[in-house]
Amino acid sequence: MFGWTGNILRINLTKRTHKKETFDEKFALKWVGGRGFALKILWDELKPGIDPLGPENKLIVAVGPIAGIPAPNTGKTVVAAKSPLTGGYGDGNLGTRVTEQMRKAGYDIIIVEGKSDRPVYLYIEDDKIEYLSADEVWGKGTYETHDWLYKKYGKGAGILSIGQGGENLNLYAMVRSLEGRAGGRPGIGAVMGSKKLKAIVIKGSKPIPVAEPEGMRQLGLDDLRKVGEIDKKTGWSIQGTTGVLAWCNEVAALPVRNMRKTHHPDAWKIDGERLNNARVATYGCPNCTMRCGITIIDHEGRESELDYENIGLLGSNLEIFELDQVASLNYLCDDYGLDTISSGAVLGFYADAIDQGAIKGDFKFGDVEKAKELLRLAALRKGEIGNLLADGTMRMAKRIGHGSEAYAMHVKGLEISAYNCKFIPGMALAFGTSPIGAHHKESWVITFELKQTQRDSYGPEKAAKVIELQRIRGGLFEFIVACRFPWIELGWPVENYATYFNKVTGLSWTVNDFWKVADRIYALMKFFWVREFPDWNRTKDYPPKVWFDPANADTDGPIAGKVLELDKYDQLLDYYYEQRGWDKRGIPTRKTAESLDLRQEAAEVEKFTRLE
Amino acid sequence: MKIFIKLIGPFINQLGFSEKTFEFPDEVTVEKVLSSLPIDPLRPKIVTRNGQAVATGEKLKNGDRLAISPLYSGG
Repeated sequence: MFGWTGNILRINLTKRTHKKETFDEKFALKWVGGRGFALKILWDELKPGIDPLGPENKLIVAVGPIAGIPAPNTGKTVVAAKSPLTGGYGDGNLGTRVTEQMRKAGYDIIIVEGKSDRPVYLYIEDDKIEYLSADEVWGKGTYETHDWLYKKYGKGAGILSIGQGGENLNLYAMVRSLEGRAGGRPGIGAVMGSKKLKAIVIKGSKPIPVAEPEGMRQLGLDDLRKVGEIDKKTGWSIQGTTGVLAWCNEVAALPVRNMRKTHHPDAWKIDGERLNNARVATYGCPNCTMRCGITIIDHEGRESELDYENIGLLGSNLEIFELDQVASLNYLCDDYGLDTISSGAVLGFYADAIDQGAIKGDFKFGDVEKAKELLRLAALRKGEIGNLLADGTMRMAKRIGHGSEAYAMHVKGLEISAYNCKFIPGMALAFGTSPIGAHHKESWVITFELKQTQRDSYGPEKAAKVIELQRIRGGLFEFIVACRFPWIELGWPVENYATYFNKVTGLSWTVNDFWKVADRIYALMKFFWVREFPDWNRTKDYPPKVWFDPANADTDGPIAGKVLELDKYDQLLDYYYEQRGWDKRGIPTRKTAESLDLRQEAAEVEKFTRLE
Repeated sequence: MKIFIKLIGPFINQLGFSEKTFEFPDEVTVEKVLSSLPIDPLRPKIVTRNGQAVATGEKLKNGDRLAISPLYSGG
């Protein structure tokens, strides 16, 4: 086999044993890598109903066949587990030196099972695996942890770590790497924490098996240079992802005040132009020539790497419009190892619930010092408030009651990222059907809705666009494992990824082969949900009630008086299900499963619910 | 008539301003406004008028706010 190493490193933290296993070409061709590998392994090896924070859960670190090979944006790794936040399949991907190092160490997949009896970190160097004490950094943030590990192993080592958030089982704790990279929104950091696994450090020295090594090397380096040139010409990385903030404010799609509002007169103070003006450094992932890690100095004098999601949820969503203070909140999230999106949504929901009189408390929108304190309590699970906040908005709303579930801004338990869709039907569908809970990474259709269709339409073309983008964003880039930014922001042809795949593997795939794998993965992610929640129904694919509430409509601006309409959203959801070959509950039919070579998996699901 | 133009993202650096009010003759279209600015006509972009998407042939009114943005894709 070329492309894939074919190797799995399986580690048992309870017994402190490990073994090298292999996977065959059939597995590789069916699931390709990254999300595909992680999903299939978790489906096969986890019994439904296990506690995601118990020793039976498994942490998967997985890459794909082009990962780590110089080519546009191949420095990303997928981390996955059964999610403690949602109860379904959960994953994330992050830029990290782990990608190249684990491939050079000879692994495409690392599985971590069981639970250590004391804080531990793993050091992996080719075939050598060491279980080392993490006592010295347990209780410390990710920045100090990384510095400690860099001193031991050098800056070239691949490192994944958790902060206090993961250690204390905050349900939206992430996995961290590099200066400000993070991934695993649905609590993958908490899964590491539940295993008392503080970090994974990896170094490798073996060659990665490539079918056309010289051809791929030359092509990869040329294309990296070309992507850099396009970025320079278009100027995308001048504001990076944060350029969209001013636009969202313009078209009433900005998260403001727990997404009660869609725009704000002070949004300019935290926009991409201000961020660029305050820039002191730019960081990026390995194998990237369009670096988006714009870094400024925060209120406490620390470097803080900001992107749009951080500013949207920790800034405008909390009505905090001082950029250095938003940077401080972002720094704290990164150091504690908490997802910035969920953190901002949790704090926004908490302030809103207090404002609505649903719960007593003294946190108001705009109170940045109190926000810092609340993040600390949430990361440490300190006291009643810390424990409440650490559980995420879905559980908070169940405990708070008083109708607060209507404005807990999550889907399936994962907090909604920084696009306020109270009147953007297609994007609301994208959030509703995102397979890990609400996340824009799967599909983003707002400019399509505004430019190529009508904002107020709920037509089948919107469902088609959501699926088209899910196949690429949530499919291809999650299983081949590469960053989608050159394609999605600079127009880098998606067909080029078929070229890289073929040069590395020696195969002759087209993008259509990719779409079949993507559809298979989406169907199996849905089966994973259904096996965990056999009473599955379509309402789990609905966005929050508040987006349908006329009382929540904007009173001014371009969408004044308008909100989503549930009967029309239901029709849009039906278009989505029809186009996917799923039934009206949102479950793949038997025929669809068979067409995607999921016969065995369908038979397993039928022990829990009927398939149509 | 006065048209307020807001530029988004790298257009700010390319044109040298973030927002500005321009005088145009009456009956000016979106297309006419775009062609008066040194923006690459082939560059994918989205133009909104008072926060709503607008076709290039549409005629503008006094006091309209035009936002001109590269075609972001949600990162």
